[in-house]
Amino acid sequence: MANVVIAAVALAVGVGVGYALRSRQDPARPTGALLPPDGQAQDLTRFAGAMTPVWSAQIDSSRTQMETAVGQLTETFAGIVENLDTVLTSSSGVLDDGQGGVFARSRERLGEVVGTLDSALTGKREALAELHDLLSLNEELRQMSGEVTRIASQTNLLALNAAIEAQRIGEAGAAFGVVASEVRQLADRSQNTSVRMVEKVDKVAQAISGVLVTQEASAEHEGTAVAHAHGEVQAVLDDLMGMLSKMRESSQGLEQAAVGIRGEISESLVNLQFQDRVNQMLEHLRDNIGRFPDVAQAAATGTAPLDAQVLLDELAARYTMAEEHQAHQSGSATKVNESEITFF
Amino acid sequence: MAKTILIVDDSASVRQVVSIALKGAGYEVITANDGKDALSKMTGVRIHLIISDVNMPNMDGITFVAEAKKLPAYKFTPIIMLTTESQDDKKKQAQAAGAKAWVTKPFQPDQMLSAVSKLVAP
Repeated sequence: MANVVIAAVALAVGVGVGYALRSRQDPARPTGALLPPDGQAQDLTRFAGAMTPVWSAQIDSSRTQMETAVGQLTETFAGIVENLDTVLTSSSGVLDDGQGGVFARSRERLGEVVGTLDSALTGKREALAELHDLLSLNEELRQMSGEVTRIASQTNLLALNAAIEAQRIGEAGAAFGVVASEVRQLADRSQNTSVRMVEKVDKVAQAISGVLVTQEASAEHEGTAVAHAHGEVQAVLDDLMGMLSKMRESSQGLEQAAVGIRGEISESLVNLQFQDRVNQMLEHLRDNIGRFPDVAQAAATGTAPLDAQVLLDELAARYTMAEEHQAHQSGSATKVNESEITFF
Repeated sequence: MAKTILIVDDSASVRQVVSIALKGAGYEVITANDGKDALSKMTGVRIHLIISDVNMPNMDGITFVAEAKKLPAYKFTPIIMLTTESQDDKKKQAQAAGAKAWVTKPFQPDQMLSAVSKLVAP
C-alpha cells in the first residue's frame, strides 16, 4: 500500500520535473513558473483530475488501515497490562496471607496438638513415678509386717515362759497364768494379722507391679508416638515452608518478569505513537495532492502559471512537526526529535 | 480515591497509549475525541487534570483550553498540552489560554507521569 502511494507521488513529481525541464529549454517562459506546452494543457488537467482522487484514496486507505491496526495493537497492550496487574495483585495477596498467616497458624495449631500429647505423656510418667513410690512404701509395709510377726513370736515365747512360771508357783501364780494366757492369745492374733497383712501387701505389690509393667510399656509406646508426631509435624512444617519458599521465588520471578514486560510495553508505547505522526503527515500530503487539479486547471486556462512553489508553500503551511519542516528543506528523511516538556 | 484525568486527542491510538501509562500509575481516565466532545464530558464530573492535543477537528486544543478555563469548576484545573506541534507561537497561545505544560510527541511514559505528578498526585 505504502509503495503504491510512494509510486504515485513519484509519478507526480516526475510529471512536474518533466515540465520544469521543458520550460528551462524555453527562455520565453517566466522564471519560477512552469507552463505546459499549449497542446498539453488540457492533457495535464485531465491527468491531474484522474490521478489525484486515486492517490488521495490510496493515502486514506493506508491511514485507515494503519489506524485500525495500531488501535487494535494498543488495545491488546492495554489488555496485557490489565491482566498482568490482575495476576500480580492476586498472586501478591495470596502470598502475603500465606507467609504472614497460614504458616504461623499451622505451626501454632500443630504445636498445640503435639503439646497436648507431651502433657499427657508427662502426666503418665508422673503417675508411674508415684506408683514406684507406692511400691517402695508397700515393701516397707512388708518389712514392718515381718517385724510385727517376730514381735508376736517373741511375745508368744515370753507369755509361754510366764505361763510355765505361773504353773510352777501354784495357787499364787493362777492370776498371772491367766494374764500370760491372754498375752499368748494376743500374740497369736497379732501373728495371724501380720500374716494376713503380708498376704495383702503381696497382692497389692503384685497389682502395682502389673500396672507398672503395663503402663511403662504404654508410656514407652506413647513416647515413641509423640517423638514420631514431633518429627511428622516438623516434616509438615518444613514441607509447608518449602512450598511457601517456592511460591515466593515464583512470585518474585513473576514480579521480575512483570517489571520486564512493563519496561518493554513502555518502550512500545513510545513507538506506537508513530501512527499519529505518520497519519498527520499523510493527511497533509493528501490535502496537498488534492490541490493539484486546481493548480493544473488554473495553468491550463492561463489564470495562473503552473508554479510548484504555490503547492509547496501550502504544504509547508500545514506542517506541525519539526521533522516535516526539516524533510521539506533538506529533501531527505530526518530523525524524529526527542520529547520535550515545558512547564509554564 | 484515585485522581481522574481527562485525555483529549483525535487519535485513538494516542488516547489508548496515554491511558495505559496513566492507569498503570493508578489514575482514573476519561477520554474525548476533540475539544467539543471533551466539554460535553466535563459537565458534573470531578476531573483533576486534563491532557489535550492541539490540532484536532471540531474544536482545536487551544480553543478548548480557553473554553474550559471559562467554566468555574475547571478554572484552576491544570492542563497539559500533548502535541506534535513544533511552532513556538502555538506554545505561547496555549500558555496564554491557561495551559500549565507543553509536552511534545512522541512522549516517554515516565516523562509524562513525572509531568502529571508535578501537577496532581495519584
